[in-house]
Amino acid sequence: MIVFAASDKGGTGRSVTSANLAYQRALNGDHVAYVDFDFGSPTAAAVFDVPSAVRGTRERGLHSYLEGGTPEPAMIDVWRQTEHPHLHAWPNQSGRLVLFPGDIGGGEFATDEDALERCVDLLLRLNGEFDVIMVDLSAGRSYAVDMALAATAHPRMRNVPFRWLVFHRWTRQHVIAASGLVHREHGIIRGGVERGHDELALRSAIRFVRAAVPDPESAVWSQGSPAQAAWMQSCDEALRRLAAEHAIGDSVVLGIVPLEPILQWREQLITEEDVLATQIANKETLEALEEIARRLTDDTYWGQP
Amino acid sequence: MARPEASAPDAVLACGEVRTRLLPTRQALDIRSAAQFLALRADERVLLSERPALYARSPETLTGVDCPLPSANGSRVRAVGTVAARAALTEGRVLQTSAYFRLPSTGPDQRRPWGHYLVRPGVVEPFGKLLPEAIAEGVLGGGRPGDLDVGLIADGLLTRLLRHPLLDQRPPLRSRPTRLRWAALPAAPGAGPSLERFTLAEDDLRTVRLRVPPAIPPDRIAGLCDDLALHDWLLTTVVHLLDGVRFGAPEPSARPRPGDDRPAAVLALRPAVDHLLHLWMPRARVASELAPLWDTLERQPGFTRQWQALVQRIRDQLTLHAIPALYREAELTP
Ligand SMILES: Nc1ncnc2c1ncn2[C@@H]1O[C@H](COP(=O)(O)OP(=O)(O)OP(=O)(O)O)[C@@H](O)[C@H]1O
Ligand SMILES: [Mg+2]
Repeated sequence: MIVFAASDKGGTGRSVTSANLAYQRALNGDHVAYVDFDFGSPTAAAVFDVPSAVRGTRERGLHSYLEGGTPEPAMIDVWRQTEHPHLHAWPNQSGRLVLFPGDIGGGEFATDEDALERCVDLLLRLNGEFDVIMVDLSAGRSYAVDMALAATAHPRMRNVPFRWLVFHRWTRQHVIAASGLVHREHGIIRGGVERGHDELALRSAIRFVRAAVPDPESAVWSQGSPAQAAWMQSCDEALRRLAAEHAIGDSVVLGIVPLEPILQWREQLITEEDVLATQIANKETLEALEEIARRLTDDTYWGQP
Repeated sequence: MARPEASAPDAVLACGEVRTRLLPTRQALDIRSAAQFLALRADERVLLSERPALYARSPETLTGVDCPLPSANGSRVRAVGTVAARAALTEGRVLQTSAYFRLPSTGPDQRRPWGHYLVRPGVVEPFGKLLPEAIAEGVLGGGRPGDLDVGLIADGLLTRLLRHPLLDQRPPLRSRPTRLRWAALPAAPGAGPSLERFTLAEDDLRTVRLRVPPAIPPDRIAGLCDDLALHDWLLTTVVHLLDGVRFGAPEPSARPRPGDDRPAAVLALRPAVDHLLHLWMPRARVASELAPLWDTLERQPGFTRQWQALVQRIRDQLTLHAIPALYREAELTP
């Protein structure tokens, strides 16, 4: 299963959340590849805490691979190479977690036929090796999004299942932008249909993730005044109506990741230790990530809304 | 092969690399599809054989090279010639591409016209003299960027084949490709072939160092190494498959897959039975003068011994999982 992670705006939490989803799937025994197609700002190295390993792969990243500069893109075994204090040992019963890093200073580029063929080669190879392939795409209606649409419409990919996650924050602007990315004239659905995707099938394979959402009920906000609480409540309701009007309402939401203080400070994986031992992360955040990771392959959450 | 081969001085080194992977199709290819799949050249036929197992091998392709040889002592010897490559399919299931060349101890001091190299298929000639030992270790250790890389040639052929429309890209199990690099130095005069080293270098990389009598042509050595690579891949793949299975009673949190109430262990092991277990046939494609090299591996680490243990484990697991079903049926009858 290929999962594309997209967002209209930058800084929505797409990379951090999708890296955490990849981590959760691997913990549960799946072999997982994390493919950094965010050519503008490849950040996965930081989230997985493998910066020095990635520095060693300069010039062999995905960007070079797609442009034909290197025949085999660099890959980093996260369990083995991470500097994250809790991840050092390959957790018992977990699957592989392998990062395919982008190039440092890669930048967006237009894809030609050759790059597309190489992209298909890579995705097919990963499909033979991994249970879940998480692909982080540059924000907006980027070349990376184009390539993902073209690759999945390619005849060689006809038997490879894929899904899309569209990440957005929980504000008016973000809701409207996320809906636009998918539904507007040059959005993912229209763009996909132009490349040969079936509209219904594509629609059925797109779900939204609301990231960094403040939960008015949570302890984090309980310090506020009753007026603040009431205001947040009504904002939340207004946003839900707005989302529904823009065809990204609850029925097409795969999950909601609460606003997590430690993620505001640092892009990282949330581990069980962070919640149970050091208690620096909220239990709700970890539970939300675990649940979304599970739903990635639970068909009852996908299909026609 | 009908090609006229110009006489070259005896090779002092033969090297190659084999890539091995599962063919990404739901069903194994039958012999006719295999022939179609491996028809790399219009002028030469695919080698097909059905005994003792289904096997198909493409004709050789040649790739011209002009670049430094990898070396372990830092010397940079330029070499020009052609690298041979071919692909093979075992039981329509396991795909291998193999690239190899041989090196004479000396070559001309300057580049000759291509015609000179084309009548010496699979020969790469050094400029000047060469230290075979340093080159062998250089090849096994992996060269610097820009050095002659047979692995890339094997990989290029693999990439080309994997784009073939015959493949439905629905592999029946998850598995990882492996690479096996080999270097064969000449055996002492009068001595037979020997396997000096077989190492698991990285996760997916094996290296093999051999000594062979100089009269043995490199495609036979490549044939031996293909056979080693195939069986090493089978072992690696089945070990990984068993690694991924959680044995014993299902954990309370384990969620059954919708529409399938077979235990996870059965689901995971079944593809091995369907697609892999019948492929174990060491030496089936190895030239008789090289077949004894397998004995070294059978003694230590004991390839077939390990394989039999794995097969037994899979069968035991499947038998165990069959028992509750029998009980269920027994209870139904009054
Ligand atoms: N649930 C959350 N709560 C609080 N902060 C979060 C949450 N998720 C992500 N963040 C933070 O938001 C910032 C942006 O996240 P991230 O880098 O994942 O965004 P992105 O969508 O990938 O951005 P870009 O388009 O620039 O790649 C990061 O500092 C991240 O740690
Ligand atoms: Mg990002």
